[in-house]
Amino acid sequence: MEFLSLILLVLLPIIGAIIIFGPWFPQNEVKIRRFAKGWAGLVFIYSLFFIVGFNSSQAGYQFENILKLPNGNDWIAPLGINFAFGVDGISITLLVLTTFLVLISLIASKYSITKRHKLYYSMIFVLEAAILGVFTAKDLFLFFLFWEIELIPMYFLISIWGTGRKEYSAMKFILYTFTGSIFMLASILAVVFYHYSQTGILTFDLGVYTAIKDYSYPMIFSILAFFGFFAAFAVKLPIVPLHTWLPDAHVDAPTPVSMLLAGILLKMGGYGLIRMNLQILPEAVKVLAPLLIILGVINIIYAACIALVQTDLKKLVAYSSVSHMGIVLVGLGALNAAGISGAVFQMVAHGIISAGLFMVVGVIYLRTHTREIPMLGGIGQNAPRIMYFSLMIVLASLGLPLLIGFAAETLAFYGAFTSYAFDGFSAFGWYLPVSIRILTAVGIFGIILTAAYLLWMFQKVFYGNILPRWKNFHDATPHEVVILLSLILVIVVFGFYPKGLSSIFVPTVNNIVNLI
Amino acid sequence: MNLLFDIANALLPEMLLAILIIICLVLTFSFKDDEQNLVFIAAMTGLIFILVSFVFLPNFQENSAFSGAFISNNFTILFRILILLGATFTVLLSKRYVSNFGNSIGEFYTLILMATLGAMLLTGANDLIMIFVAIETLSISSFALCGYTKLDKFSNEAALKYLVIGAASTAVMLYGFSFLYGITGQTNVDDIVYALSNYEGSIALIISFIFVVAGFGYKLSAVPFHTWAPDVYQGAPIPVAAYLSVVSKIAAFAALIRFMTLIYADISIFTVVIAVISVITMTAGNLMAVGQKNIKRLLAYSSIAQAGYVLLGLAVLTTEGISGMIFYLIVYLFMNLGTWAAVQIFASQTGMDSIDDYNGLAHKNRYFALCLSVCLLSLAGIPITAGFFAKFYLFKAVLFAGYEYMPLLIIALVNTVFAVFYYVKVIRAMYVRPVGKFAKQNGEVKISLSLQTVLVLTVLATVFLGLFAGPVIDLSKASADSLRINKKPQIENSTNITSCLGQ
Repeated sequence: MEFLSLILLVLLPIIGAIIIFGPWFPQNEVKIRRFAKGWAGLVFIYSLFFIVGFNSSQAGYQFENILKLPNGNDWIAPLGINFAFGVDGISITLLVLTTFLVLISLIASKYSITKRHKLYYSMIFVLEAAILGVFTAKDLFLFFLFWEIELIPMYFLISIWGTGRKEYSAMKFILYTFTGSIFMLASILAVVFYHYSQTGILTFDLGVYTAIKDYSYPMIFSILAFFGFFAAFAVKLPIVPLHTWLPDAHVDAPTPVSMLLAGILLKMGGYGLIRMNLQILPEAVKVLAPLLIILGVINIIYAACIALVQTDLKKLVAYSSVSHMGIVLVGLGALNAAGISGAVFQMVAHGIISAGLFMVVGVIYLRTHTREIPMLGGIGQNAPRIMYFSLMIVLASLGLPLLIGFAAETLAFYGAFTSYAFDGFSAFGWYLPVSIRILTAVGIFGIILTAAYLLWMFQKVFYGNILPRWKNFHDATPHEVVILLSLILVIVVFGFYPKGLSSIFVPTVNNIVNLI
Repeated sequence: MNLLFDIANALLPEMLLAILIIICLVLTFSFKDDEQNLVFIAAMTGLIFILVSFVFLPNFQENSAFSGAFISNNFTILFRILILLGATFTVLLSKRYVSNFGNSIGEFYTLILMATLGAMLLTGANDLIMIFVAIETLSISSFALCGYTKLDKFSNEAALKYLVIGAASTAVMLYGFSFLYGITGQTNVDDIVYALSNYEGSIALIISFIFVVAGFGYKLSAVPFHTWAPDVYQGAPIPVAAYLSVVSKIAAFAALIRFMTLIYADISIFTVVIAVISVITMTAGNLMAVGQKNIKRLLAYSSIAQAGYVLLGLAVLTTEGISGMIFYLIVYLFMNLGTWAAVQIFASQTGMDSIDDYNGLAHKNRYFALCLSVCLLSLAGIPITAGFFAKFYLFKAVLFAGYEYMPLLIIALVNTVFAVFYYVKVIRAMYVRPVGKFAKQNGEVKISLSLQTVLVLTVLATVFLGLFAGPVIDLSKASADSLRINKKPQIENSTNITSCLGQ
């Protein structure tokens, strides 16, 4: 597999962006879109080769790839910064999810993007490169760099092609994320400095910090650094009460951007929690894991309760996103193989499902120009295909067995429920295991709420007699069928055969658990 | 003749620059107004020639001239190159502006060269008198440049304001110098350092420190000595504003770094005073920039805030901090000049300078909008531009000075959030907002070649420094190493984390 280079994978979208943006490319809308779809397909196929070549029984980084300067030095040698990439089981899963969803959302761009195509498609590619960079960076500095790069294309995508209060939402998004990330930078510097003061080696190599170290951080330091990282990822994930940017951004973003935002960008938060908080600061995680579960349960219940009272279709889906990311948090808080696997599984599942849900919302909005649930009704009569596709996605979202959401939620909650044994280590005696179990049970109750609001929404929108004003509502076009069908295919395949997905990242997860 | 060679070892570029000034003066009064573009050509060729002449300076060793009043080492050489580069860009920037103005073209370039001479002498000045003379050369030329468009009342206001505040602050600095002279009886910095080495600090030294900081603070437009900056930047010709915000600042930083590290490094309140000024400067600059409607005033406040970041490196007083400052200033030269070049291009096309006037510019000329965006993102510190890396390196140096500087780091980081907000506002105007007054005008946008050159070169440098920062960091490290920080060793090891955080 000599031709597999992660650097090339990250650079490919950038090259695509340059090709589209440059003066040499025709201004023709159709040509731009065709090229963009083709290029995204190329990136997707290229990323599939990585899955094929990936040795899933092996933990640790694979496809490691370091770019040197022409004179043989490291990228920024004086600071010990490498242009280094590598993937493990978790990042490769998210990597393929990214390339897949970008392709899907580019197909979905046909109807919702009507202006400034050159800028739009190049921005999508820059965004893709940044996200791929975050998932593959094997250097703390590089991780932070890509984390920041992602802000600018996202800002443009929301503020130029969005609707409603788009400028406000985009600015809110950029300020929230940026504020979170400065604390991550402080933590990164603190951790690197600690390593430097202990060993005299200045390096930003992620591998050094995630392996077993021959020193341990003082507890206060470790907890402060934990919260530094946590601030960035909590904004991104998002965790209540730092979630307020998300409904705004989702509601005002165009459909494909919403799909990317919910499908991939939120996963950067979960990925960061695993990569940074769990792997770099195991000491702090051991102490603060119950906090993660508590925050996760709050996320699930609080966001589900808010989703119950939404009348805006897109806001409802946005809050359901927040609620589902709570499950990721619960799984991570469990700190055992089942919990973390569940969290990773949930990230993939939610990526697919939420992209599907936003697609459905976009399909409806395109035809009716409204997202108010009371205004809609009986659409299923005119559009059976859209209805059945939506049904599959909704059912997957509320965790029906044999669909992708079920395996994820079960694993995560199982992990959390069994995370604290009665006879094992516990600083709080029997209070901790019992309260964690009660909390998990409360969290599971959130699934019922999810079922309530999603089914209520589904019934209102699709069932009943069609309202007279929507009698011209037409069924899914081939484009939309392709998008929804491919998403549903993933939902069903991995719902029936979750091992196909989990076998990729379970060795890595086991490795992480062993280190904690 | 031997003496001349000795001086040339240290001062060759300055000598050439002085000759160039004389040539330009002669050209100015021997040609008519409409033929004075010749002065531009002379100045450009001369400046490039002088930049090349640095090759002949003996590197890696310290040379002094005028019995120790001027020092040439890696540190000052780097800064002099930066100043010359800034001056070259400024001359290129002003070509269109000055020829539109119509008369006294030659004087403009001559004054810029004179100011540059002062700035270059300031970087290496090693004598209190020399520092004063260099600052005055720089300042007086700048006063004249600010008032260059004599019929414009804003320009006159700028010149007067700059003159009055400048004169007052120089007086304050001189007063600070007089304390130093009183304590040691010397004017040469090396002699002062020697005399101070046996001197137990006193209130007089601290007073002189405060006064000198105030004097330099005015040049750096550090808060609370910044009040002139927005009005001057707004009123002065744009190339002059660019010159003041880049070249003049870099020169002042060079002198400040050398003077502070040599003489005052041992003062107990050094870090506190500089850190407080730095924090106030960046916070006030950023907060006040948020509400600005005029792009020149926005850039004025932004450059105040940038000076605040740079001062962080001085506050921690480590070699790495200094090298962080140097790297930041190198990057600052390009990104800030690029921004000013874009503003100048826009103003020369339209005569407008409100942020709202930039609405929809990306539709009209997307490459121009892209260039300006790169510069602004760099100022805001967003990757993959050089500004991001400069901030990162500086902040890293701050933290690596010890965990006790963590609050300082957090404040600086929070400041970058405000900065993102107002820089993105300009980008938003260009890309997101519907087409505005300017962009509605018909006809192709023609940007003069000299302005294009500046913009393209600075943007390329900004991107390039962001991608390949390693060699330039090595360079700034080398020049920071040639500087000695005159701080008596402390007994406690401040990098020991256990002493700060406890177990």
